[in-house]
Amino acid sequence: MDLLFLFSRLSLQLLFKVILGATLAGMACSLIGVFVVHLKITAIGFSMSHAAFAGAALGLLINSYLSFDPLISASIFAIAVALLLGPMSEKTRLNPNVVLGIIFTLSLALGFIFLSFLPSGVVSSEAVQILWGSVFGLDWLDFLLLGLVNLAIVAIIIIFYKEFLATMFHRKVALAAGINVSFFNFLILFLTALTVSFTLKIVGALLVYALIVNPTSTVYQFAYDTKKIFIFSPVVGIISAIGGVLLSFMTNFPIGSSIIIVSSIIFVVSVIFSPKKRRGIVQQHQ
Amino acid sequence: MSFSSNTFLQALNPKLSEILNPRAEKALQEGSTDEIIVLDSATTVYEGERIPTIQDISLRVKKGEILFIIGPNGAGKTTLLETICGILPLREGSVEVFGLSTKKYGHQIRKRIGYVIQEMDFDPSEPFLVKDVVLIGRIGLIGVGKRVTKRDWEIVRASLEAVGMEAFWGRPIGKLSAGQQQKVMIASALAGEPEVLLLDEPFANLDINARHDIYQLLLKLNREAGVTILCVSHNLGIPPETDKVILMQNGRIIMNSEREKALTSPLYKAFIELSQAEKGVYNAAKTAQEK
Ligand SMILES: Nc1ncnc2c1ncn2[C@@H]1O[C@H](COP(=O)(O)OP(=O)(O)OP(=O)(O)O)[C@@H](O)[C@H]1O
Ligand SMILES: [Mg+2]
Repeated sequence: MDLLFLFSRLSLQLLFKVILGATLAGMACSLIGVFVVHLKITAIGFSMSHAAFAGAALGLLINSYLSFDPLISASIFAIAVALLLGPMSEKTRLNPNVVLGIIFTLSLALGFIFLSFLPSGVVSSEAVQILWGSVFGLDWLDFLLLGLVNLAIVAIIIIFYKEFLATMFHRKVALAAGINVSFFNFLILFLTALTVSFTLKIVGALLVYALIVNPTSTVYQFAYDTKKIFIFSPVVGIISAIGGVLLSFMTNFPIGSSIIIVSSIIFVVSVIFSPKKRRGIVQQHQ
Repeated sequence: MSFSSNTFLQALNPKLSEILNPRAEKALQEGSTDEIIVLDSATTVYEGERIPTIQDISLRVKKGEILFIIGPNGAGKTTLLETICGILPLREGSVEVFGLSTKKYGHQIRKRIGYVIQEMDFDPSEPFLVKDVVLIGRIGLIGVGKRVTKRDWEIVRASLEAVGMEAFWGRPIGKLSAGQQQKVMIASALAGEPEVLLLDEPFANLDINARHDIYQLLLKLNREAGVTILCVSHNLGIPPETDKVILMQNGRIIMNSEREKALTSPLYKAFIELSQAEKGVYNAAKTAQEK
C-alpha cells in the first residue's frame, strides 16, 4: 500500500497520536534497555513484562464490573516483581533464573485465566490490545503518563549519569568507589517496571521486551562509548517504533509484531556491518 | 600525619600544582585515631556458604604504614581486603576504618579508600572508555548528584599520566592488554585521592620496568601524602620500605610481624620454600612436557 494513500485515510489527529505514542514508547523502552542490557538483567525485564500483562488482564476483569484503569494493576504487578527480584539480583550466588522462569509462566497462566473470565465483547478488543499492542485505544491520559515516565527516565539518567556509569561498568568497582549500588539497581528495576506497564497498551505485553533490548543491542554493534549508547539507543528505538506503526498500518499486522520486525531488521543489518561482529557473535558460538 | 588533598595531588603528579586548592590545605578529614584500620576477630562468610572464608582476624594498621599480605591461593587475601572495605558482610567481630564501623558507614569509608581489584576481566566489546573508568574511581568523592568538573577531568588525566597510560584516554578498556588494564585500574583508584590503598596483586600483569615505576609512585604517595598501603603481592618480594608482613593461610593470619623479623621467620621461609618447590615441580613438569 502506498504511504501517501495511507496517510490520506488517517485523520491528522490520529496520525499525530500514533506517531507520538510510538515515539514515547520507543524512547522509554530503549533508554531502559541500555541498563537492562548492560546490567545483564534481560531475564528480569522479560518476566516483568509478563507480570504486567497478568496485572493488566486482572485490571480488565475488574474494569468489566466497575470503572478501573488496568494500567494501575499492571504497574502494581510489575513493581511487585521489581521488589521481589531487586534483592535477589544483588546476591551473586543465588541463580534467579528458576524463579524468573516461574514468574514468567505463572504470569502468563494468571493472565490467560483473567482474560478467560472477561465478558466476550471485551476479550476481542482490549485483551488483544494488551497482548499485542495498539495505538487506537490510547487516551490522552496514557500519553501524559508515558510522557512523564520519559521525563523521569531522562532526568534520572542526567542526574545520576556518573553513578550509573560505575554500576554498569563493574559492580565491585562501583561498590569500592563508595557508590550505593543496591539503590541504583533498584531505581533501574523500578523504572523498568513503570516503562513496561505504561507501554503495554501500545506495544503489547508479549513483545515490549524486544523493544527494550533490540535498540541497545543495535547501537552496541557500533559504539564504544557509553554516552553514545545513551544518545543513539533512543534514536533507534524511536525509528523502530514509528517504522513499526507504519508497517502495521500497511500490512494490518499487530503493532507490537510490526515494531519487533522493524527493530529486528535494523539489528540484523547492524550486525552485518558491525566492526565488533567478529568478536561478539563468533565468540559466543564457539 | 594528617591527610591533605593538595599534598596527595602534588605527589600524584607535579603538573597538578596548578590546580591545587589553597583552601584544602588543612586536613581533608581527620580520623579519630592514629590506628586507621582496626579489625577485631573479624569473620566473613560468603553468601550461601557455611564455613567462614576468613576467621577470627585481628589486625591493626597505623596511618601511613605499608603492609604486604602474602599467602597461597585461596588463603583469603582478597576476602580480607574486601572485608576491610566493607563490601563483604561481616559475620562476627568488627571492622573499623577511620574510626568508623564498616557495617554502618561503608559508603563513607569507601569514598576515602582506593581498591584495585585482582581480576582484569573486561569484555572487549563493552563500551567503557579508559577515561570513564578512571573517573569512576573518583565518583564517590565527587558526590551523588554533583557535576563532574574540569578539575575532576584534570585529575583523571594526571592519574593516567602518573601510570603512563595517558595515550589510551579514549580507548575502550576491554581492548587493552592485561597489564595496561591493570595500570588503568590503579590510576582509577588514585583518582579518588585515597587515604588508604588496598591493592590486590597490582603488579601481577606488569613487566619489570612497570613494576618498578608503579611501586615508586606508590612509595611517593606514601612518603609525601601519608597514604596507607595494604598490598597483596607475590611479585616484588618484600620491599625494604615495608612496615609489616602478613602471612595468611586457610582464612587465618598465621604471621604478622615487622619486615626484618618476618624475613627470618620459619613460617615465611616455609612459605617461600613451598613456592619455590611448586615452581620447581612446575618447571620439571614443563621440561618433561617439552621433551
Ligand atoms: N564468591 C565466593 N563464594 C564462595 N566462596 C568464595 C568466593 N570467593 C572466594 N571464595 C573462597 O574463599 C577462599 C578464599 O578466597 P580468596 O579469593 O580470598 O583467596 P586469595 O587468597 O585471594 O587467593 P588468590 O591468591 O587465588 O587470589 C577460597 O577458598 C575461595 O574458594
Ligand atoms: Mg585473591
